[in-house]
Amino acid sequence: MRTALTLLAFTVAAFAADQATLDKGMKEEQRTCIPCHSLRIIHSNRLSRAGWNKELDKMAGWGTKYSDREAILEYLVANFGDDKPVAPPELTTDGTVKK
Amino acid sequence: MQANRRQIFAALLAATAARKLTAADGVTIPGKRPLILHNDRPEDLETPVRYLNTWITPVDAFFVRQHIPRPPVIDPAAYRLTINGMVSKESRITLADLQKLPQHTVPATLECTGNGRAFFTPKLPGIQWGRGGVGNAEWTGPRLSDVLKLAGVDTTAKFLEIDGADSGVLQTPDFVRCMPMEKAMHPATLLALKMNGETPDIHGFPARLIVPGWDGTSWVKWVIRLTPAAKESGGFFMNPGYRYPKYALPPGTPARPAELEVIEGMPVKSSLTSPEDQSKIPLAPTVIRGFAWAGENAIERVEVSTDGGSKWQNAQLSTQKLPFAWRLFSLNWTPREPGYYTILSRATDTAGRVQPIVPAWNPSGYLWNGIDKVGVTVEKV
Repeated sequence: MRTALTLLAFTVAAFAADQATLDKGMKEEQRTCIPCHSLRIIHSNRLSRAGWNKELDKMAGWGTKYSDREAILEYLVANFGDDKPVAPPELTTDGTVKK
Repeated sequence: MQANRRQIFAALLAATAARKLTAADGVTIPGKRPLILHNDRPEDLETPVRYLNTWITPVDAFFVRQHIPRPPVIDPAAYRLTINGMVSKESRITLADLQKLPQHTVPATLECTGNGRAFFTPKLPGIQWGRGGVGNAEWTGPRLSDVLKLAGVDTTAKFLEIDGADSGVLQTPDFVRCMPMEKAMHPATLLALKMNGETPDIHGFPARLIVPGWDGTSWVKWVIRLTPAAKESGGFFMNPGYRYPKYALPPGTPARPAELEVIEGMPVKSSLTSPEDQSKIPLAPTVIRGFAWAGENAIERVEVSTDGGSKWQNAQLSTQKLPFAWRLFSLNWTPREPGYYTILSRATDTAGRVQPIVPAWNPSGYLWNGIDKVGVTVEKV
């Protein structure tokens, strides 16, 4: 029982640490990506860790400066990994209606 | 235990909040019907297939692809096209000069190079296009060859570099493309001033390149510079961008850069537009519809199967058998009994190319042209 509780405590601690990283990653994404493009183009992708890593490198090559690259990578893998279901398509509202 | 549960619950809430950030918030693109929103800044919009049942795709339904932000709207009176490089006189051409040249109209299908990327396994980075990164329009303007002659193009030039007015943010590369002079001088290659009679800024006007049969990336928008040259020029959008492996790769593996080639003509392809995938239709006579195109060739035949590919029937094709432009196809179908049906379409072009069952996976997810497939549930009324 005690072992189980200790294990659980460790799991929770790890989970909490992860959540802090994910929160940091989300903020880092907003800070570094939004200046050039909206986030939809990121969030519609489902990539492996290696795939996201490559994308981060590509963007760094185009001038993005990460303050916490690890956090943004963890955030992307956790939310938009290739094991996650594809997001349902989103439609724009009608822009042909004259207001 | 209670505290732990609370912690987990709080974490889950935070994760939900993160997802909420991406939820729809009513993006409207002026002049466009409701389109599938892949990105709003810059705009990347896909046409739902139900809008693709006409030979000409209206401008308000036409897909939009942008790599980098749109340039400020170009005032037609202030527009200048620079022609430099291998020419006898460096020139700055006005829109009026272009309008004075003989005007030609070419119907042609424009398809994003990555259209259908979402169908590849393993998944690939980039816009997750389904079927609708494509449209067919009538493009009007002077021949690119006539435009180049205004500056006295050197006939020994082998390539043409084309620059659009869009430029990158931070160190994002400028949008510059290059094509062999042979294609630039082809009579169907235009510097279009109109699309279906209109001049939509979002589609690259006042002047955009029309490169019939070639991938969308070649059709540079907001053209502001033409430079004939002896050698092929680079830039990200020529290399490593928009290249395709010379030899097919095992899915999920990287390509050797030396074995990647510039994409030119598009493959043969058909797409089903009706009935829509995973829709329900009544047990009654219906019409299966779609469109088919083949890059620089014309469509010879489209076959349709309603039983997952055991039996195939020739579909009816619309009358215009043209290179560059798509043909609509249809097949009258009366399902015999209720149930789930897998409908397939397979196109063959005038050069004998046939749409494959399995298109080659490639590291950028270009040129998807697999036999199209939709599932439909037929219900007793």
